[in-house]
Amino acid sequence: MTRFVTRREFLNLVGAVGGSSAALRAGSALGLLPVTKTAKALDLFALGTNSKKVAILGGGLAGLTVAYELGKRGYECTILEASHRCGGRVFTVRNGDLIDEIGNRHYCEFDDEPHMYFNGGAARIPSFHNNLLAYCKELDVELEVFVGENNNAYFQDDAVLGGKPVRIKDYKTNVRGFLGEMLAKSMSEQEMNEPFTELEAENLLSIIHSFGDLREGGEYTGSSRSGYETGGFTTHGVQKDIIEFRDLLKSRLGGRIMTASEGEQGPPLLQAKDGMDNIIAGFLRVVGQEVKYRAMVSAINVTNDGVEISYDQDGVRHSLNVDYCFNCIPTHLITGLDHNFPADYVKAMKYVRRGDAYKAAFQAKERFWEKEDIYGGITRMNNRSSSIWYPSGGIHKDKGVILAAYNFQGGLYHTNKTQEERIESHIKDGEKVHPNYRSLVEKPVTIAWHRMNHMLGCAARWNRSRSGWTAEEQLMFDTLQKPVNGRHYVIGDQITVHVAWMESAIQSAHWAMEDLDKRVRAELA
Amino acid sequence: MFILPWMKVNAAEENESYDDRYCTTCHGADGRGNYGVQAPRLAGMEPWYLQRQLENFRAGLRGVHLSDIEGIAMRPMAAKLTDESIADIIEWVGSWDYVPAEITIEADAGRGAQLFAQCATCHGADGLGNETLGAPALRGQNDWYLVTQLKNFKQGWRGNGDGDTFGQQMMVMTQMLTDDAAINNVVSYINTLGRD
Ligand SMILES: Cc1cc2nc3c(=O)[nH]c(=O)nc-3n(C[C@H](O)[C@H](O)[C@H](O)COP(=O)(O)OP(=O)(O)OC[C@H]3O[C@@H](n4cnc5c(N)ncnc54)[C@H](O)[C@@H]3O)c2cc1C
Ligand code: HEC
Ligand code: HEC
Repeated sequence: MTRFVTRREFLNLVGAVGGSSAALRAGSALGLLPVTKTAKALDLFALGTNSKKVAILGGGLAGLTVAYELGKRGYECTILEASHRCGGRVFTVRNGDLIDEIGNRHYCEFDDEPHMYFNGGAARIPSFHNNLLAYCKELDVELEVFVGENNNAYFQDDAVLGGKPVRIKDYKTNVRGFLGEMLAKSMSEQEMNEPFTELEAENLLSIIHSFGDLREGGEYTGSSRSGYETGGFTTHGVQKDIIEFRDLLKSRLGGRIMTASEGEQGPPLLQAKDGMDNIIAGFLRVVGQEVKYRAMVSAINVTNDGVEISYDQDGVRHSLNVDYCFNCIPTHLITGLDHNFPADYVKAMKYVRRGDAYKAAFQAKERFWEKEDIYGGITRMNNRSSSIWYPSGGIHKDKGVILAAYNFQGGLYHTNKTQEERIESHIKDGEKVHPNYRSLVEKPVTIAWHRMNHMLGCAARWNRSRSGWTAEEQLMFDTLQKPVNGRHYVIGDQITVHVAWMESAIQSAHWAMEDLDKRVRAELA
Repeated sequence: MFILPWMKVNAAEENESYDDRYCTTCHGADGRGNYGVQAPRLAGMEPWYLQRQLENFRAGLRGVHLSDIEGIAMRPMAAKLTDESIADIIEWVGSWDYVPAEITIEADAGRGAQLFAQCATCHGADGLGNETLGAPALRGQNDWYLVTQLKNFKQGWRGNGDGDTFGQQMMVMTQMLTDDAAINNVVSYINTLGRD
């Protein structure tokens, strides 16, 4: 039997947890956002007539950052990249590109046009990721707005209204109306005697009213915020019916809908025009000559005065001796190389687990979403495909590429299926939102990061418990962050506490180069 | 060369080719095994055993049970291999030197030795295996991997497939390993074999 909770009981429940003022404060949990002040100008010593050799293992964003910055200061850099491409998890697929998922390699067959691309890895840049943005500016990488939040996109859950897709604006407006009404009523009844002055209470009430779009007396009777049923321009608008709050409460997705566009995923977001890998191309315009492709590192031997590296290219084993080495190869792959790292360093690498994010995309034969007033943004579904992303660019062109699935936490579900099964699952899920989906989409690509060659994961997982890092985990992290012998640095977002962001990969590289810089200055002083 | 911004500026060549020699991404440099991906050492593996396992994975005799997490990771890697590819891979794997894996499990090797007396009938007293009996070498293999296999056989997650006669034999043998401690003991004894 379902037991119903009255509004009053609900408020008592909230009150029991922390009292009303604490409950009001609960919304500021977003304080988890990391702080990036203005981009840091790296003050690194320029070598001048001195010469130093550097090996960069992996042409990911972190590695390229090192090549770019140290190159400016006269270091002689070599980038060894196992794959046929640089960029690692910054991966844009276009016509003809190989998706190197081992066991399921496939080529992208999208039409060959600038707007027909898919960002299989990094796709969004928060406007406060300053170091990344500074590089985009410095390297002439054109940026544009990424539309993440779109109130016209849908929310779909089989448990709600018989599975009928609901516009996000309808969802949010009704939830806010209900919550606002509840708050407004409780305020006037309880007089809110304690923590507020009269003026504060008045202002709070006004916030609550506008939050919920309430009538006089704190009633929620529907709102034009989610648009009209009909009319509104040349004729007067007819208001939509209220969606019963209890209907919306049938979905477990509620929290996700209300906070999806907050914090690091909140507007304004940016993206590189015509594909995120234009950031990589920007770096390669400067350091491209230093990259050896299909050069797979096999051994790392740290000595007292340098690092000896072996790598395989064209079936031949090569060696490279350098003064310093910066390594952005994922830790779970470094453990499979021959090395002479200290035991505690290896222990830390063995501890880190790998994530299994999964993405898929379709080419759409026509831009059907635009006919439903959708330009960019994200539809959220309570199924395994989870999301449909509509492209921010290419507006009103004939075709477009849409993200058909994005499963960040539970990607193994699709990863463990065949290509055909994956695609069928995304079509079935998408059909619930767009009835003709099956006939509107074609040319799928799927990107299972757990199996992408030379990656085998989407991001490092350092802490095992949701409640945060243990002291032991912090110790392992600190160990792995420090260089071995002052010679070998692990870099990449994997060696930050904020994994899976490009900004983190860059900041890890900066951390390592500043550490190196101290040593070099001391040595040359 | 002038390159349009949307062209594949960072690809080494157009329409990338690929081959089936991708095993070292998971199995480590020169197939020495990688704990980080739980993929065992292949270097030094007998060609007949390597072939049978690849064929078993391909045929769905191994790596199909839902609880066999690591086997499930390996199976798609073999699913699309042709006979020619398998032959090529066997030749490639044969070019890697046998190097005994790092020891990570230390338990009661003395008790392990007693347990191993039975195992030796098939796997040989020196752990070198016996082709006639279809039993592979065990010495020098990654110890964490041996543990996974013994647990998987014991649970019936490996060796239970229709027609997997070799796997079934081994499944039966794990019943004498009554608990995790016994498994660790016998593996730590295997760790003493073939170290030079
Ligand atoms: C699904 C997904 C979504 C994401 N979304 C966003 C987003 O919206 N915004 C954002 O800012 N970030 C996002 N990220 C995170 C971002 O992509 C990464 O943080 C960043 O690209 C990591 O760069 P890196 O240099 O640390 O490592 P990587 O990009 O992982 O580079 C590692 C490199 O090492 C190479 N390598 C591996 N083995 C060897 C070897 N043996 N020898 C030589 N080279 C080797 C690899 O081929 C690769 O090029 C996302 C990531 C994923 C997977
Ligand atoms: C995605 C990672 C991955 C790739 C790529 C991969 N493997 Fe594996 N492989 C594994 C894992 C994990 C296991 C362990 C399975 C288990 O524990 O049962 C394994 C097990 C095996 C085994 C069984 C070993 C034994 O002693 O029975 C063989 C043989 C094997 N792999 C061969 C190969 C070959 C050959 C290739 C290249 C064609 C390859 N693998 C590619 C992950 C991989
Ligand atoms: C009757 C013969 C026989 C006996 C006795 C036996 N095994 Fe096996 N074992 C096999 C065979 C055959 C295989 C190969 C199974 C296959 O092909 O999948 C095997 C496989 C294994 C494997 C997997 C190796 C790998 O690389 O994946 C391990 C580990 C193992 N045996 C350990 C033991 C231990 C420990 C004992 C003693 C407790 C033992 N075996 C006793 C026949 C035997």
